Amino acid sequence: MANGRRALLFAITTVVCGSILLAGCSDSKSGGTKKTITITYRDDGAGENGTLYKWLKDVAAKYSNDKVEIKQTPIQASEGDYFAKIALALKSKDTAPDIVTEDTFMINSDASAGYLSPLDDRLKDWSDWTNGSFIEAMKKGVTASDGKIYGVPYNTDSRGLWYNKNIFKQVGLPENWVPKTWDEVLDAARTVQQKAGSDVVPIWMNMGKATGEATSMQTYEMLLYGAGERLYDDKSGKWIVKSQGILDALNFVATVNKEKLGPPLSKVLNGQAGNTSSREYLPKGKLAISLDGSWIPGNYLENGAAPWPEYKDVLGFAPMPTSKGQAPGSITLAGGWALSIPKNAQHKDEAWDFIKFALNKENTEKLVIASGNITVRADVAKDPEYTKMPFNEIATDYLKNAEFRPAQDKYPEVSTQIQTMVESVASGTAPDAAAAKYAQDVTRIVGADKTIEK
Amino acid sequence: MNANQRKMVYRVLPYAILTLIGVCFLLPLLWVLVSSIDPNAMQSLKMPARFTGANYADVIASRENQRAFLIGLVMSLGQAVLLVILGLLAAYPLSRYQMKYKKPFMLTILFMTSLPITAVMVPVYQLFLSIKLYDNTFGVILFYVASALPYGIWMLKNFMDSVPSDLEEAAWVDGASVFGGLRKIIAPLMVPGICTVAIFTFSGSWGNFFVPYILLNTPEKFPASLKLYQFFGLYGMVDYGKLAAFSVLYAMPSVILYILSQRFMSKGFGLQGGTKG
Amino acid sequence: MSGLAIEIGRGKRKNKSWIYFLFPSVAVMLVFFIYPILLTFFYSFTNLALTGESARQLKFIGVDNYIRMFEDPTVRVSIWNTLIFLVGSAVIGQQVLGFLIALLMKHKNRMFRRVIGTIVLAGWVTPEIVCALCLYSFFGDEGTLNSIFSLFGLPAVTWLYTVPMIAIILGNIWHGTAFSMLVFQAALDDVPSEMEEAAVVDGASRWQILIKIVLPFIKSTITTNMMLVTLQTLGVFGLIYAMTGGGPGTATTTLPIFMYNQAFVNYQLGYGTAISLLLLLMGIVLSLFYIRSMKE
Repeated sequence: MANGRRALLFAITTVVCGSILLAGCSDSKSGGTKKTITITYRDDGAGENGTLYKWLKDVAAKYSNDKVEIKQTPIQASEGDYFAKIALALKSKDTAPDIVTEDTFMINSDASAGYLSPLDDRLKDWSDWTNGSFIEAMKKGVTASDGKIYGVPYNTDSRGLWYNKNIFKQVGLPENWVPKTWDEVLDAARTVQQKAGSDVVPIWMNMGKATGEATSMQTYEMLLYGAGERLYDDKSGKWIVKSQGILDALNFVATVNKEKLGPPLSKVLNGQAGNTSSREYLPKGKLAISLDGSWIPGNYLENGAAPWPEYKDVLGFAPMPTSKGQAPGSITLAGGWALSIPKNAQHKDEAWDFIKFALNKENTEKLVIASGNITVRADVAKDPEYTKMPFNEIATDYLKNAEFRPAQDKYPEVSTQIQTMVESVASGTAPDAAAAKYAQDVTRIVGADKTIEK
Repeated sequence: MNANQRKMVYRVLPYAILTLIGVCFLLPLLWVLVSSIDPNAMQSLKMPARFTGANYADVIASRENQRAFLIGLVMSLGQAVLLVILGLLAAYPLSRYQMKYKKPFMLTILFMTSLPITAVMVPVYQLFLSIKLYDNTFGVILFYVASALPYGIWMLKNFMDSVPSDLEEAAWVDGASVFGGLRKIIAPLMVPGICTVAIFTFSGSWGNFFVPYILLNTPEKFPASLKLYQFFGLYGMVDYGKLAAFSVLYAMPSVILYILSQRFMSKGFGLQGGTKG
Repeated sequence: MSGLAIEIGRGKRKNKSWIYFLFPSVAVMLVFFIYPILLTFFYSFTNLALTGESARQLKFIGVDNYIRMFEDPTVRVSIWNTLIFLVGSAVIGQQVLGFLIALLMKHKNRMFRRVIGTIVLAGWVTPEIVCALCLYSFFGDEGTLNSIFSLFGLPAVTWLYTVPMIAIILGNIWHGTAFSMLVFQAALDDVPSEMEEAAVVDGASRWQILIKIVLPFIKSTITTNMMLVTLQTLGVFGLIYAMTGGGPGTATTTLPIFMYNQAFVNYQLGYGTAISLLLLLMGIVLSLFYIRSMKE
């Protein structure tokens, strides 16, 4: 009996420990003659209906290299989670894909972390890159603070004021609306508030922590840069933590909320806010003005998330004016995504070869048209196939005055402080108190010697 | 109020209070239950214009969902079984033996559980990479077992303490081994406790999305919890009807487990009465 | 019990066989739980980050993370929020309600017990993420609670924004009470019915039986449950995260939320782990307090 008991206990222990070892052995990859190139991107939940999925499948099928097999390894995650998960994956040779899609604002940070390989040597032999096919300004977005290039951009975007022409007509505002100052924007919102009825939200801006980068970029930075201020002073290499521009931007947010020109907080402070405004409020005529990105019409295409054929006629896209109409008159921020090769990638050469093919003129054009983004290639920008898409031309035009987020590895962290600051103002904190907290938090992150007050 | 009325009140009052509590506990569930059979479910609660089983049918018909449920079940059941076995073994000496460092040992492992799982996930992730357990379903089960063991051992030990040792000792007289006594005498008397622990661990891992989210990579290996997390968090225009149907189906295994275990619990109660005879 | 049995028992319990019993559990815990926790402890003294310059090289930075923690006003807010949430939802809410339900259910109609038990349990077995969804729709602007309010002619309240703390406390009570109910049910089942019957014969009232007989009998269960519920509640993350995200502002930012934000949103893993150790410390202090109070 005693022996039996011991044997059983021993067996349990052996099974538990043994399976750990076994599990380790069963991991070996099947070795074929074909090399598998993995490509990781963010799947926003659309799965096989996703634009990137369909596009990659199509491109991989056309890619004539029988030594290579393209395998998609998407990560299903929210945007914030995607960056965290990518960072974890890029840390190790076992998990790093061969190609990864990077939001341009993360490129610098991931490059500083040593997660990405520089592409300069490869790029100088790629004629598309050197002959001006890529818009020169867009190369800035993929260049890290060490001056090296860590990704090939495949789309970009601009930001501005989307507005519903039907509502504008109803309340007596011009259907071809070009506001010259912030006050004109607020006045239009007030007019809507007075005349359009209580179920119409006058103006929507993302203001919560939950909407992440959308709050930083579409709302705060559009305002801050429009007030003539910047986040980071390139000359001195310091972060600007105190200035009138910061207060101006926050006051705009405060005014919108104090006068109840914005959406109810319960709708705007959650992670779905961006989708609620673009896929629900705007198409249903419940929203007059939305400060948002140029990709929004992508939702309204036939196979988009919220098909809305009338959008071409109902929506208008006005430039966001500077605070008092000062030069350059209007402002936009540009972001976008790029394909990068991780430092821990197994097949860098093959990955590069595929990137060159995937991001040629024909293939990029397909992608930007399907996703409703703006192209980064000058040759695509001139193509009638591309320009015939509504709003593409205006959105591309806004890029003339485009600003980029600072290529600093601390930017993602500073950005979350921005979101905290904007949310606190939206929920009632005085702008100067919120700004003081922001100054304190940013100083802690970047160090007191890297900040500047204006 | 005469004695009879008083008796009446004492008899009815508990039912009234419990019914009220029941209603309060039911209210938050209303939305998922109603929306799951509403073809046009919205975020707000409303009486459906007509009822439909299509939401359920769609969720059940999806092969992806079937797989996710199956994986989730394998993971959570595997964890619960392993945990109960390991936990009972560990609880036995802690309950019955005189050991020097018993108390500090118990407290140490228990305190460790107050660390949020999110905090240990990055070291666990690195560990899994280095011992090649990353993206391995069994690895996730092992981690679940490890993280639930402190509670499991603690609770099982307490349940075991209340099982009188004379029955077990009588079995020894009849020639049973210590292990035989544990298996044949103690464990059956602890069925209510074991059920509590098993349900507890089952629901814990069945509902956890963060652990598989960090430790698994292949979408084909994702359990139902992760599926739902993505369902819930990602779609903009969420298909609320399907989401609700998925949620109801997803909650089912734990509910069924509880209903089944209630039968055992009353049996366990009866057996314990027998020990006093 | 016969002398022989005692003899055998002593023999059996004297040998070192406890090692065999404990070894499998301890081995699994050591590898998969304790080792990562020790690493966590180590990381709290480093600048470990998910991305950026400091992700390239792990640097030992002493107690910088801890200094930063004590200077960070949000940490103070988070500690306070954590305590309110803990006392409101766990110590008072789940514990008292769970005991009340278990007590009232005793000796009741079997079918009735099963129905009520299942309803209460549904909130617990329902996975956190579904719970959050249910609660979100319950407390939402056009949610169930406001619908009920409007039935009685009361104005709608934006629960998650005007009284977010109360919303998450009620949410956690709904989600967690069943655990205490189960524990107390099992404990109450163990109270020998002879003791109660004898008290009834002696003319004791129900209240007296509860105070003098039942509660002392299950005292250790109460303490244990209090401790377990406290430790569980300290770590509650998903429910709050999905309901309010810790907001608006920092109104519902508890330590686990704050820790998550630092580690996975700001990518500062080192700082995040330091915060999680603060949480561990809170768990230990509270547990020791319970244990001490049980002894007295």
